Amino acid sequence: MARGASSQSTSSSTTRPGTTAPRGSAAAAAGMRRRRLSGSSSAAGGGGSGVVGSGNASNMLRFYTDDSPGLKISPTVVLVMSLCFIGFVTALHVLGKFYRYRSASGSGA
Amino acid sequence: MGGGFRVLHLVRPFLSFLPEVQSADRKIPFREKVLYTVISLFIFLVCSQLPLYGIHSTTGADPFYWMRVILASNRGTVMELGITPIVTSGLVMQLLAGSKIIEVDNNVREDRALLNGAQKLLGILIAIGEAVAYVLSGMYGSVSQLGVGNAVLIIIQLWFAGIIVICLDELLQKGYGLGSGISLFIATNMCENIIWKAFSPTTINSGRGAEFEGAVIALFHLLITRTDKVRALREAFYRQNLPNVTNLLATVLIFLIVIYLQGFRVVLPVRSKNARGQQGSYPIKLFYTSNMPIILQSALVSNVYFISQLLDRKYSGNFLVNLLGKWKESEYSGQSIPVGGLAYYITAPSSLADMVAHPFHAIFYIVFMLSACALFSKTWIEVSGSSAKDVAKQLKEQQMVMPGHRESNLYKELNRYIPTAAAFGGVCIGLLTVLADLMGAIGSGTGILLAVTIIYQYFETFEKEKASEMGFFGL
Repeated sequence: MARGASSQSTSSSTTRPGTTAPRGSAAAAAGMRRRRLSGSSSAAGGGGSGVVGSGNASNMLRFYTDDSPGLKISPTVVLVMSLCFIGFVTALHVLGKFYRYRSASGSGA
Repeated sequence: MGGGFRVLHLVRPFLSFLPEVQSADRKIPFREKVLYTVISLFIFLVCSQLPLYGIHSTTGADPFYWMRVILASNRGTVMELGITPIVTSGLVMQLLAGSKIIEVDNNVREDRALLNGAQKLLGILIAIGEAVAYVLSGMYGSVSQLGVGNAVLIIIQLWFAGIIVICLDELLQKGYGLGSGISLFIATNMCENIIWKAFSPTTINSGRGAEFEGAVIALFHLLITRTDKVRALREAFYRQNLPNVTNLLATVLIFLIVIYLQGFRVVLPVRSKNARGQQGSYPIKLFYTSNMPIILQSALVSNVYFISQLLDRKYSGNFLVNLLGKWKESEYSGQSIPVGGLAYYITAPSSLADMVAHPFHAIFYIVFMLSACALFSKTWIEVSGSSAKDVAKQLKEQQMVMPGHRESNLYKELNRYIPTAAAFGGVCIGLLTVLADLMGAIGSGTGILLAVTIIYQYFETFEKEKASEMGFFGL
């Protein structure tokens, strides 16, 4: 039983794509319930990442869950990139104001 | 279309340029997940307050007023597009794959990678396309007013924001965060909206002296300042132009109904074949597809609106364009509202009185809502791999059987419930949306329904994460 649970957790977290993700959840649902009823919760720690039942829908919005070749970026890079973007737009605003001020005063003088 | 050529393969050359978040190679602890989620949310919120650089005016008509809440977008800010690109591309690809227009073999790794790549590529293209359409259609002032340089800058900002949303969503989904970016952003936007409408301290002068916008604040303000308390109460409950207390109560009521209905489920007992005596259960919820039907439905409607408005602006008067939708600017708020054609009939009637006055509109709207939700719900279980056949296969892989039934009967037994649950659940969701719209719940019916179902999902996720943490550390 523990074996079943752990194998399903790895499969659902690494290679299953969005469309098949609910598959893992259904099985995990049953697995989790089973474990609770039998009361041996320590044995099946591997199933921890499984999805508790009826959670089909929470996986339905998962469009991108699979690994595909591409420009690999780490999550930190994503966050830093977004912050840089915010900084960039703010800088544009500041520069825009500054430039307008300069040009206005320049033409006035 | 010959056997050798497949549409999906057109994506391959672009695959190596698409940004891709690494999958988590370890199990991310709960606290770290919360941290990632919060930071992403923070970025999203900042983006939806940060005004775009270079725009000239945003004071004119807002053509997408209806969709703002659902699509988590904010006028005149970097998040102008919100999640539209990602949702639309997801919708298009899933439906294409589901209807077998593009063939995807889900068991082949490369196919899945290509499908994901195609989705992302389409999302990025849609972001560019919409950004260009927004700028060219003069949403921020005409191009000659803006200058070419600024126009390009605006397009780049919108486009990059689109990419950021895609990346953040992927980041959250790949196991670094909780839930998905899309639902997180929708729910946040919706809650923000509700709280604002309830407690907004801004005053608006509407001819009868200054009034507070927030419903609750207005209630107290009116009660304190007016001498005639009964009239003050009536005013607070029924004022038309601003959010009133009835709207707020309707919102709360819808929240409660949805949460109550979330608990409705059919529980099928299952038993493991290997481990003797171990019982389990497989619950089939009434809201089997949860909020998916309304997400798809609103994506459909928003695209119809978008196209219809573009066409209406360019070629108003054309018969076919009028058939699709006629738009007029409302005199109160300056928002464009549909007044004729298909776009009008798929828009919710603004009130009960309006419904009585235009019964055909009301009936068409209700029929459209219910059938669209039921249909999308039924398609979605096929597309997302949660149909009876798939579930039966999963259970079989898990060596689970239903006591009292033969193994071959599992599919039949599941098939008795799942399609019904999907269709009926879809109808219920549609009905609730209509109800929320009629009661005038804050935001829109669709928005409320989305928010509640998403929040409920998050609640479940939290419980689950907590339980699994306990499993690891508690024992």
